[in-house]
Amino acid sequence: MESVIECRHLTHCYGRRKIYEDLSFDVPRGRILGLLGKNGTGKTTTINILSGYLEPRSGECRIFGENIRRMQPLTRRRIGLLIEGHVQYQFMTIEQIERFYAAFYPAWRRDAYYELMRKLQVAPRQRISRMSCGQRSQVALGLILAQDPELLVLDDFSLGLDPGYRRLFVDYLREYAKAEGKTVFLTSHIIQDMERLIDDCIIMDYGRILLQRPVAQILEQLRRFTCRVPEGAPLPADRDLYHPSVVRSTLDLCSFLPREEVAQRLAAAGIPADGLCEERISLEDAFIGLTGKY
Amino acid sequence: MCKSLLYKEWIKTRWYLAAAFVVLIAFSAYAMVRLYRALAMMGAGHIWEVMVTRHAVFVEQMEYLPLLAGLLLAVVQFAPEMHRKCLKLTLHLPLSALRTTGAMLSFGVAILALLFGVSLAVIVASASPVLARELVAQIVGMLLPWYAAGWAAYLFAAWVILEPTWRRRLVNILMSVLLLRIFFLAPVPRAYTGFLPFLIGATLLAASLVWLSVVRFTAGKQD
Amino acid sequence: MTRFSKLFFGLLVVVLLLWQVPWAVNYLTAERETTPFTLYSEVLNDFALIRRGNGEIEYADRRGNRYEQRQFDSLLPLFYARQLVADGRFPDSIGGRAVSPREAQEATFVFRSTPQGVNTPTPGIRFLLESMSGRVDLEMPADAFRLTDDGIEFIDMAANRVEQQKSARFTEVMRRKGVRFPVTELSGNPTTRKEYDEGYVLLDADRRMFHLKMVQGRPYVRAIALPEGVRPEHLFITEFHNRRTLALLTDDRARLYAVCMPGYEVRRVGEVFYDPLRESISIIGTLLHWTVCVEGASAERCYAVAADGLAQLDTISYPLSARHLPGLAFTSPKDNYVRPRLQ
Repeated sequence: MESVIECRHLTHCYGRRKIYEDLSFDVPRGRILGLLGKNGTGKTTTINILSGYLEPRSGECRIFGENIRRMQPLTRRRIGLLIEGHVQYQFMTIEQIERFYAAFYPAWRRDAYYELMRKLQVAPRQRISRMSCGQRSQVALGLILAQDPELLVLDDFSLGLDPGYRRLFVDYLREYAKAEGKTVFLTSHIIQDMERLIDDCIIMDYGRILLQRPVAQILEQLRRFTCRVPEGAPLPADRDLYHPSVVRSTLDLCSFLPREEVAQRLAAAGIPADGLCEERISLEDAFIGLTGKY
Repeated sequence: MCKSLLYKEWIKTRWYLAAAFVVLIAFSAYAMVRLYRALAMMGAGHIWEVMVTRHAVFVEQMEYLPLLAGLLLAVVQFAPEMHRKCLKLTLHLPLSALRTTGAMLSFGVAILALLFGVSLAVIVASASPVLARELVAQIVGMLLPWYAAGWAAYLFAAWVILEPTWRRRLVNILMSVLLLRIFFLAPVPRAYTGFLPFLIGATLLAASLVWLSVVRFTAGKQD
Repeated sequence: MTRFSKLFFGLLVVVLLLWQVPWAVNYLTAERETTPFTLYSEVLNDFALIRRGNGEIEYADRRGNRYEQRQFDSLLPLFYARQLVADGRFPDSIGGRAVSPREAQEATFVFRSTPQGVNTPTPGIRFLLESMSGRVDLEMPADAFRLTDDGIEFIDMAANRVEQQKSARFTEVMRRKGVRFPVTELSGNPTTRKEYDEGYVLLDADRRMFHLKMVQGRPYVRAIALPEGVRPEHLFITEFHNRRTLALLTDDRARLYAVCMPGYEVRRVGEVFYDPLRESISIIGTLLHWTVCVEGASAERCYAVAADGLAQLDTISYPLSARHLPGLAFTSPKDNYVRPRLQ
């Protein structure tokens, strides 16, 4: 499948602190990809590099085949950018901001914007600075819908939104992206929202990508396993058994392996797994299971 | 597209520009009222004499006004761009960053030229009926470096505001303050004769410093 | 563009360093360098000096003899005439010439000029006083004048209108007397705080020298003949109390001349060299001598000149050490212009 975003061998540091090294990933056309990671794993760094506001120490990112550091200005017409906190020009009214952006995009869909604005129940002359964060998120979304870009890059779209507006945003965006075949790259710190929205996810750990898979595959294959272990039993050191921990003689871990395989590997490691249980888990639990609580 | 950019700059600055216009015109008019009062009370002979021998120009109160006008224009125009990094939106527009920056700065420089031009026109039109053209030129010669300082203050302030890191911003502030002193060294009117065109040229080149801040912003420099 | 921006930024850093660092160093390490106050003594027939330093004043002569203040007054009886008269010590004669206190006081003058006074923008509007109003005090005129490419233009200040008749009359007389416009150099001292008025001395387009004043409302124009080979550069009207000098001038070789009155005779002042654009001058004249001190870049040169005939009698000079860190400056003590210069 054709890739809209291709990142190759990205390395970045802040001063001496290395964020990641040799990071590579692709985002295929028509997919909604969520970037998940704990704080400090480089989500914001990645999105800043992708939106052209951070020069990586080495490596390159291509969008629509163009290196983003040297992108033709007109290519940016095909990319919708939502910056953290749904920031838009605070000093404009919803009418002014529409008039402003319209001039830059020949295929501007004014109706799409005003359709969303009508639902907001704000006066056309109301300044964005006087709107709630939720209302602002709708303005930002409306502008992106009117711009009608092929690729949407959204930085932490859930920041500052209450559950109602988050749901509204997620549902509207998913419906739009799927109906029009848009590619979306996004981050959010609320993983529950992502589960409803994204097709694929990249889970980042400190300094690397832990995995990149379709969400459905993760939810289908990743299981949580628990069993009773004797006091003082060792923890398995197996790369396919994620973040094993023992609380009150109960061993807890996550794995993509089938139950029998997990039981075998525990036995091989000399851990007597008594009553091994498996359960399906949500994306949020999967994220915690894969990256650990700490 | 550039027209739309200017529309954005206009929305940001229009109330400020209205206020700046009123204040600048009020100061210019006040200076001329002082001149006319002095002429009425002391007689034209005395006023001409003090203008020739003691370098009186009657516009001394306006010395730092253009500087302030330029500085505040930059704040009004560029502080909203840096508020929650709105500049990202501006630079994401399908225009080259250089053109976008150039359009924003051209707007500021042109609008300041308009403000200063009207202020100067008020002064020249009021003084010309009562003063010899040489004395009017003396007043204009005193004012021009101050107006140039207005442009410089605008461009330097833009440079400082758009700079993404505080450490570098402090360096920029220090350099700006020292460089702005160059505009206020006149011991007598028309002291900048000969140098002023070069000074104005160099001032306009200071727009390239703003580009440096934009480049640093897009490179993601931070403290 | 980014490269240009970086270059321009670098250039500004260099300019600021070249400007501010030497300034700060010179400001912190500056020492006031003084040369002795020097006058030619008609008693010693040599220079007498007053040195100031460390809060003390030292009265001496060139050979190193020290004097008390009272003794020193007597070495310069013409300069300190008022003091000596007050003390009852004023001599009847000096060097065999009978001198009265009044004569001594009337002949004394001080003339100073600095490069800053010469290198200064002028507005181009001047005032021509009435030289012979019949009143004791001088009065400022009701009009001002400007020089144009082809004449002189008087402007009624109250109406801000050109006085056509007066302008035409003055232009016509000036032309008739040989002035070729435009006037290229002009010196006058239009103030009422002086004893009499001599109007202006000027150089025309051919660098010939003229005297212009207004006598009872009419133009008085007179060509001043210069010695062969003298190409005048800078003019200074003097209007000293004794009326024996109309003006001083320098030529293109920095030689100093005086226009002596009556008769407009131009005489070289000793062997004085003085560049008005770069050097300061002070002339203290008494009945018998002029002491001319010129402060140049590397030395202060003092010349003693006989008041009659202006022949040189003696010279003395004091070296000045330039211990300033060189750097960029926008202003200079030598002019009133703002522009970058390395100094």
